[in-house]
Amino acid sequence: MASQRRPSRSESPIIETAGLYKHYGKVRALEQIDLQVPPGVTGLIGANGAGKTTLIRLLLGLIPPTYGEVSVFGTPVADDPAALRARMGYMPEGKCLPLDQTAADFVAYAAELAGIPSSESRRRASETLFLVGLHEERFRYLGDFSTGMQQRVKLAQSIVHDPDLVLLDEPASGLDPEGRDQMLELIGRFGRFEMNVLFSTHILDDIERTCDQVVMLDDGRLIHAGPLEPPGKDDHISVEVFGDPIPLVTALRGQGADVTVDNRVLMVSSRSGDVFLLLREAMESSDASVRRLGTSLSRLEDVLLAAAREANG
Amino acid sequence: MADLPPADAREEAIIVDRGYRHFEGTRTGRRGAIRAIMRDGFRRVTGLRRKARRKLLPWTLIALALASVVILITIAWFESQLPTPDTAAELVPRYRGYFDFISVVALLFAAYAGAQLLVPDRSYGVLNVYFSRPLSLRDYLVAKLLAYAAVILSFWLVPQALLHLGLATLSQDGFLSYLGETTDILWRVPLAALVYFVLHASLIFVAASFINRVGGAASAFLAGSLGLNLVAVFFQEAIEETTGTRWTALLATEQHPRYVRDWIFGVHEGAEWIPAQAGFGPEVSLGVVIGLAVVSVILVGWRYRRLT
Repeated sequence: MASQRRPSRSESPIIETAGLYKHYGKVRALEQIDLQVPPGVTGLIGANGAGKTTLIRLLLGLIPPTYGEVSVFGTPVADDPAALRARMGYMPEGKCLPLDQTAADFVAYAAELAGIPSSESRRRASETLFLVGLHEERFRYLGDFSTGMQQRVKLAQSIVHDPDLVLLDEPASGLDPEGRDQMLELIGRFGRFEMNVLFSTHILDDIERTCDQVVMLDDGRLIHAGPLEPPGKDDHISVEVFGDPIPLVTALRGQGADVTVDNRVLMVSSRSGDVFLLLREAMESSDASVRRLGTSLSRLEDVLLAAAREANG
Repeated sequence: MADLPPADAREEAIIVDRGYRHFEGTRTGRRGAIRAIMRDGFRRVTGLRRKARRKLLPWTLIALALASVVILITIAWFESQLPTPDTAAELVPRYRGYFDFISVVALLFAAYAGAQLLVPDRSYGVLNVYFSRPLSLRDYLVAKLLAYAAVILSFWLVPQALLHLGLATLSQDGFLSYLGETTDILWRVPLAALVYFVLHASLIFVAASFINRVGGAASAFLAGSLGLNLVAVFFQEAIEETTGTRWTALLATEQHPRYVRDWIFGVHEGAEWIPAQAGFGPEVSLGVVIGLAVVSVILVGWRYRRLT
């Protein structure tokens, strides 16, 4: 593995757009997108029809902008889209797998299409399928795969050729919760492989779990772009308990935590200390049993909803 | 069975995350990608690296083409044993006649191969992967056409080569002498095969570009090829007196390569072909084949530009 940082992981933006518009006839898919995306794992969030896929296709040079400029790695996409695509991987949202081929054959073929020599392609296909957890199944036909396995193959074909930037269009769509967890964990690992990721989704939780920064689109307009702040002291956590929640509420409030109660679900925050430490101590002292525990989405959700409200006037 | 390592070594063993290996070698670029598409196309048509049932139809057709050569060589061997072999040998279709001898099999193979090359990429959605790679639409279509040329020309030329070698082996004049006397077929046969290829590629690529099922595209190609012949026959025979019907003879697309083939082989008794009966020369048939190829390029290009 390369020990040095690759050029694309410098601090200069990997994606830049200036005054970007894309119209399909009377439909305005993107409007005035001015964006700079730094290296790392970036979430692209927006409702269906917000313009996420259009932005990805513009980055790949598959469609031209109506107005404005798109650059990847500092190079305008319009100058040489094919050369830029050699440095990019793409996982489409929809179907893209030939169901009559084996996973190993298809991923090797995807590598060859990106210019990896034939013999090396087969080796890399095997390694990449190992990485996504399909090593044992690599000689099975794709038509015999479950949806989750097919998503993993789609992910494998997007990274097999060692791209500097991977564009993932709704990679977790159609997956059950376990498959979703595994997919997000895999994507989170890409940052460690010195790979930049732009990852579209309409689920906030996916972004919070995986990304360093977020770009939000709404109805073709840029609503918000910026880093995801690390969890702070004023984070909320959500706790659902078995039985009576009152002893735990009392213990938490005794330690200075702010607690709101909705049936057996507590929303806990603290301005004076790590909320998880407070909760652990309160659970010990109250002997409470926890049914479910998780971070609240309120922070990012609040930020994005506020930005959307502001943009919509 | 290998001995286990010492206990202290086993305690030190750790599971290592293999991580991701970056590629440091030289990339093959567009040429490599085009080669990959051609190789994949060949495998797709022949069913290689696919389930057994996908091999059934193409290899049945290939086996029929090769079996026909064995049959012809066997007949030629029997004929060579007759008291007057030269006269009898004329009965065995060879070179020019072989094109007609396996015309139905070849038409089926042309339909199947063309549909398999283009349709699955769309029906499976694989175009999304192709065009996220450093490939242009032109690269993709050229690679598919080259793949089609490879399989179709092989389908025509390999049996012809075997037939040629078989007849040379049976020749009364000796192997080398026969090869020396028949050097003209080394250009006539490939040229005739090329005309068939251009016509079939033109028709099946259009059908396979617009129809999203392999069977549908292949059927449309076959129906178009044979149906237009029937239309041309109808106009020529049923209402031949009507003004302007002469030009309908050019609808007999399936007969144009045959007429041109006879021209290539220097056979001028082409009156059996509908365009000839309508008074057109073989050069007109060649023009029709080239014209269809141009129209096909325009239609297929338009269709794929809209798709991508």
